[in-house]
This record gives sequence, structure tokens and C-alpha cells, in this order.
Amino acid sequence: MAKQGLTATSAFLHWKPVANSNLTVDARETLTMASFAAAKGKKDELNAAVRAAYGVDLPKTPSRVEGQQGVAFVWAGPEQWLAVAERKDGRDLETEFKKTFGPLASVVDQSDGRVVVRISGPRAREVLAKGIPLDLHETAFRPGSAAITHASHIGVILWQIDDKPTYEVALFRSYVDSFAHWLLDSAAEYGVAHA
Amino acid sequence: MRIACPYCGERSLDEFLYSGDATVKRPDFASPTATEEFVSYVYERTNPPGMHRELWYHAAGCHAWLVVTRGVATHQITSVEAAREVALKEKSATKDTK
Ligand SMILES: [Zn+2]
Repeated sequence: MAKQGLTATSAFLHWKPVANSNLTVDARETLTMASFAAAKGKKDELNAAVRAAYGVDLPKTPSRVEGQQGVAFVWAGPEQWLAVAERKDGRDLETEFKKTFGPLASVVDQSDGRVVVRISGPRAREVLAKGIPLDLHETAFRPGSAAITHASHIGVILWQIDDKPTYEVALFRSYVDSFAHWLLDSAAEYGVAHA
Repeated sequence: MRIACPYCGERSLDEFLYSGDATVKRPDFASPTATEEFVSYVYERTNPPGMHRELWYHAAGCHAWLVVTRGVATHQITSVEAAREVALKEKSATKDTK
């Protein structure tokens, strides 16, 4: 019988990267991601375990912190987080966290469920503001800020990296084409051609 | 209308789902009048004007259940609490009286 199995396929098959002086859009395809929630009554112990392993406190408000060992922690709801790191050398955050946190947290792999898109440049804020119902003005949303919301009706976790400004958006991978359609339409006035 | 989620901050109505009266309590199924109590619990609402306590779900945000106190004639919102906190408070209050 023929061997049956699944082949890893990029979520970004129909994408062309965007790069002009107004805006760059990159698919971040080399990430390992895991979401985790504190076990009942264990949020302080979980925080201590994160502090011991990664040198930071877990965010208690909608924000993102960069820990040691190349892991960023994004607030993803009360007592819940999304962690993102580079996948290099076979790194797998789900396995890593299950070992590190043990019974203190429930950990779920998100590496294939979600994708991350990086949107950066002088027009990034205007482009995102067309579909995200949040105040993204620099006095209201800054590097380190994060939010769970929607972009053109697609559920996203959004965070800001720097004040170029650079944003990253995590969304379910099967929504990537819809998201790109909206994003490129929104960016058309800044010289971005529709793929 | 905007709702100030205690976790996410103030958000537009389209991120939330209305989920009904926050004051009704699920009856005890073993009660001898359980049928009548469940009919009342599920269907009977008086819908008075003025302030209501309502359940709202932050569906496109943090997925928390909220108890919102809202004037149904004016849409004025006087408080938004996490339903979890409300339930825990009620639980500890009933424990105290026992
Ligand atoms: Zn919320």
C-alpha cells in the first residue's frame, strides 16, 4: 500500500512579500508557538517557574515581554499566554514548556495552528487601523502593547514590537489568504500592488 | 455602545455577544417543583425599563464572561465585572452565612 501521510505545507502559498518605503509585510514562517494557561490556583507558582527559566514575569495585562532564551510571552486572556520563539535546531516550545512547567500549566502547541505576520514601516499604523477597531495611536498603543481583537472580522492577537512602527499579528493559518486580501487592499494607496 | 472589559479595556460592541439575564439562578433539578422552576428560569422575563444585570461574552477579545449593569433605555453602563469574580464573591458570601 502506498505510504500515506501529511506533508508540511506553507500557509503562505499565495503570498508575495511586500517591501517598499511605506510598508513591509513578512510571513514569519520559522516560529515555534505554544499557548498555555495556569492550572487552578497555580498562577504564582507558574510565574515563578517562568521567572526561573526565562528571567521575566508573565504579563498580567494585554502586553508582550521578551524573556531570555529567545522566548516572547504575549498575554492571551486572563491567566493565559501565547509564547513565540524561533524554531531553529528543532526547538519545540510545547515540549519545552511541558518539561519546565509540569503540572503548573496546560500547554497546547500552536505552531501549525497559527501563523504570524509582521507588518512594519511608516504606514503600518494607518494600514492596520483600517480594519482593527482599536486606537493604535502611539499614545495609546506602544511597543510592548498587545491586544486580542479582530482585523477585518478575522480574530487576531496583535502586538507592537518597535516604533518604526512594527507590529505582529497572530491568526489562524487558514485565514491567511483572507487576511492578505484585506491587508493588501488597505495598503494599495501606499503603493502596494495586490498580489 | 462600548463596553469596558476589565481585562482588555474599552471595546466596541461588535466584539461582544449578549448572553442573557445575569440574575437568574439555575434551579435544583431535585426540587419537587423543578419543572415550574425551570420554566421560569428559562423563559419568564419581566423586561422592566431601567437598569439590568446582563451577561456578555467577550467573543472577539479575551473570551471572558462579564456581568454588565446597563440601562436598557439609555445604554448607560454603570459597571462591568468579570463573571468569574462575581460568582466567587457569591460563593464566599453563601459560605459565610452557613
Ligand atoms: Zn476582554
